[in-house]
Amino acid sequence: MSDTLTRVRSWWQQLAAVMIKEAKQVTRDPSSWIIAVVLPLTFLFLFGYGISLDTTVVKIAVVREDGSRDARAFAAALTSSKWFLVVPATDRGSGERLLQDQNVKAVLVIPAEFGTRLNAQNTSAQVQLLVDGAEPNTANFVHGYVNAVWNGFLAARGLERGTAVALPVSVEARYWYNANAVSRWFLIPGSMTVIMTLLGTLLTSLVIAREYERGTLEALYATPVTRGQILIGKTLPYFLLAMISMAVCVLTALLLFQLPLRGSFLALGLVSGVFLVPALGQGLLISVTMRTQMAAAQLGLMTGYLPAMMLSGFLFDIHSMPPWLRAITLVIPARYMNVSLQTVFLAGDLWSVLIPNMLFMLAVGGLFFGLTWRRLHKRLD
Amino acid sequence: MLQRLLAIVRKELITMLRDPRARWALIIPPIIQLFIFSSAATMEVKNIALAVVDLDRGPYAADVQQRLRGSRSFTSLPRYANVAAARSALEREQVIGILVLPSGFSPDLAAGRPASVQLLLDGRRSNAAQITAQYVSTIVAAEGTALSGAPPDANAAAAAAVTAGFAPTPNAALVIDNWFNPNLDYQWFMLPNLVGTLSLGVALMITALSVARERELGTFDQTLVSPATPVEIALGKLLPPLLVAIVQATLYLLIVTLLYEVPFRGNLLVFYAAVLTFAEACAGVGLFISSLVHTQQQAFLGAFAVLLPFALLSGFATPVENMPWWLQFVTTINPLAHMLHLMQGLFLKGASVVSLAQDLVKLLEIALCTTVAAVLLFRRKAA
Repeated sequence: MSDTLTRVRSWWQQLAAVMIKEAKQVTRDPSSWIIAVVLPLTFLFLFGYGISLDTTVVKIAVVREDGSRDARAFAAALTSSKWFLVVPATDRGSGERLLQDQNVKAVLVIPAEFGTRLNAQNTSAQVQLLVDGAEPNTANFVHGYVNAVWNGFLAARGLERGTAVALPVSVEARYWYNANAVSRWFLIPGSMTVIMTLLGTLLTSLVIAREYERGTLEALYATPVTRGQILIGKTLPYFLLAMISMAVCVLTALLLFQLPLRGSFLALGLVSGVFLVPALGQGLLISVTMRTQMAAAQLGLMTGYLPAMMLSGFLFDIHSMPPWLRAITLVIPARYMNVSLQTVFLAGDLWSVLIPNMLFMLAVGGLFFGLTWRRLHKRLD
Repeated sequence: MLQRLLAIVRKELITMLRDPRARWALIIPPIIQLFIFSSAATMEVKNIALAVVDLDRGPYAADVQQRLRGSRSFTSLPRYANVAAARSALEREQVIGILVLPSGFSPDLAAGRPASVQLLLDGRRSNAAQITAQYVSTIVAAEGTALSGAPPDANAAAAAAVTAGFAPTPNAALVIDNWFNPNLDYQWFMLPNLVGTLSLGVALMITALSVARERELGTFDQTLVSPATPVEIALGKLLPPLLVAIVQATLYLLIVTLLYEVPFRGNLLVFYAAVLTFAEACAGVGLFISSLVHTQQQAFLGAFAVLLPFALLSGFATPVENMPWWLQFVTTINPLAHMLHLMQGLFLKGASVVSLAQDLVKLLEIALCTTVAAVLLFRRKAA
C-alpha cells in the first residue's frame, strides 16, 4: 500500500519537474510572452475593427439625364439615403469612367424622358444601375440597397397619387441570435478560434523541435521521466497560457466590442479547454515529426493557422464550399470550435449543439495525441 | 561596385536555390494555396438548406416551395410540422433558416389580399443569412408578380432574377448590369487578390529569414569581411526576391487566366511593374525585420506579426470601405492594399493606366521608404 503511494508520489514529482522546467522556459523567453499576450490582443483588435462584412456607405455616381419631377425625386431619395454617398456625374460617359477607375461602386442612370414615360399609359420607364461586380459581396448589398430605395420611391409616388400598390407577398425576415445581422458578432468568436489555434498549435509545435535542435532532448531522455510525463508536462503549461489568453480575449470582446454572452462562463471555459486538446495535440505531433524549429513553425502555419482562417467557417461559409473541401474541414478542429463559440456567445448554452462538437474535437485531439505518443520514442536515432 | 553587387546576388541565389527541396518549397506551397483558397474563399451562398414550416397547406404555399426547389441555390428544403421542431435543426446548423408559410396564406392571396411569409434566419451566420433572405425575397416576390397578373415585362423579370425586390408599378423597372464580373463569380474576385497576397508572403519570408539564418550559422561575419560594403550586401539581399516574385507572378498569371479563365484586361507592363515594386516594398520590410532579430524563430514571428495586419487591412478578406476611418487611413500605407487595387484594376476592370498610376506611385513611395530604412538599419547593425 505504501509502496503504491510512494510510486504515485514520485510519478507526480517527476511530472511536476517536467512542468516546472517547461514553464520556466516559457516565461523566460520574451518571444513566448509576445505570442501569448501581445499577439492575441493585437489580433483581436485588428480582427474586431478591420474585418467587417457590413457594407456601410457606398459611393455611387448618379447620372440624371432627365429634369422631370420624378427623376429629381428619385435622385433625391438616393442622396438622402444613409447607404449612399452620391457623386454627381454630368453624363453617362463620365459616370462610366468613374466606375472604370474604381472611384465609385455603382452608377445609376436616369435616362432622358424617364418622367414622361413613367407617367404615360403605355410606355415603360427604366432606370439603369451599373454595379462594380469585381467584389461580389459588396455588389449584392448594392443591389439590395438600390432596390430598397427604388421600391420606396415607387411606393411614395403611388401613395401621393392615391394609386398605392401594396406588395402582394412580402417576406418578414428576422435574424435569430443577432437581430441586426452585425457581422462582427460572428467574426469575433471566429477570431478567438484563430488566436487559440495560433497559441495552441504554433507555440507547441516548437517545444520538442527546439529540444531536438539544441540537443537537450538527449538530456531529457536520460532522466527517469516517462513518455506520458513528457507529454503531459510539456502540454499543461501551454494549456494554462492559452486559457489565460482566452480569458483576456473574452474580456476584450465583452467590454470593448460589446458582444453579448448569452451562454455561461462555464460553457465558454469548457469549450475552450476541450478545443485545446486537438490544438495542442496537433502542435506536439508537428513538433515530434519535424526536427527543426523552422520546419515545425512553417508546418504549424500551413496546417494549423491557415486552415483556421480559411476553412473553419470563420469568414467563409463551409456549406458553400465544394464537397471535397467540406470533407477536409471535418478534421479541422477550428471548425467545431467556431460553431461552439458562436453558439455560446450568441445563442446560449445549447448543449445539444455543444456536446457533439466537443466530442468531435476530443476525437481529433485523441488522434493527434495517439500519433504523438507513437512517434515519441525514448531514444535518439 | 556593380561587379561586387552581382557577386552578392549570385551568392544569395545559390543559397536560395541550391537545395532542390528549398527550390520546390518556393513554388509548390503557394500554388497549392492558390488552388485551395480560391475554392474555399467564397462568399457566394450555395447549397442552401432551408427548413419549411407549411401551416397553410394550400396551393400557393405549395407553389412557393416548388419555386424554391427550382432555384439552384437551394439544395434541400426539409419540412417540419412546427417552428419548434425546425428550430432544433437550425440550432445544429443543419439549416440556415426557417420559412414559415402561415395559415391563411393561400386564402388571402386567392382573395387578392396582401399576404406575408415569415423567414427566421440564423444570425450566427448573418452574412450568408442576409444573402439567403435576398434569394427568398426574390422567389416569393416572383410568386406575387405572377399572381398580380402584371404583364411579365422581360426587363423586370431579368431584374428580379438578380435582385431582391421587384417593381410594384408595372411599367417601371430597375435594370441592373454588373460590370467587370457579370455573374458575380467570387473566384474572379479572389484569384487576383491571391496573386498579390501570396507574393507578399514569399517576398517577406525570404528576406526576413536571410540575415537571421546567416547570423545563426555564423556566415554573416564572413560576408562582412568581404570587400563588399554593407550597402552592397543589403542590396544584394533585396534583389533575389524580386526574381522569385517575377517567376511566381508569371505562373499565377498563367494559372489564373488559362485555368480559371479570369480575364486579364490591363496592361502587361503595368502588371510586371506592379509586381516588381510590390516585391521590393515587401523585401524591404523583410530585411528590416531580419536586421533587428537574432534567430530564425524571431524572424519568423516578426514576419508573421507583419503579414497578418497587412493581409487583414488590405481588402483581401473584407472591403476597406467597411473599416472605420482611422483604419482606412492605415491602409494607405499598406503596400498590399495598393497591390490588390492594382490587381483588380488590371485583371477585371482594364482600368486606365492613368488611374493605375496613382496606386503604382504610392507603391513606389512605400518601396523607397522600406528599402532605405532597411539598408540604413542593416548598415548600422553591420558596422
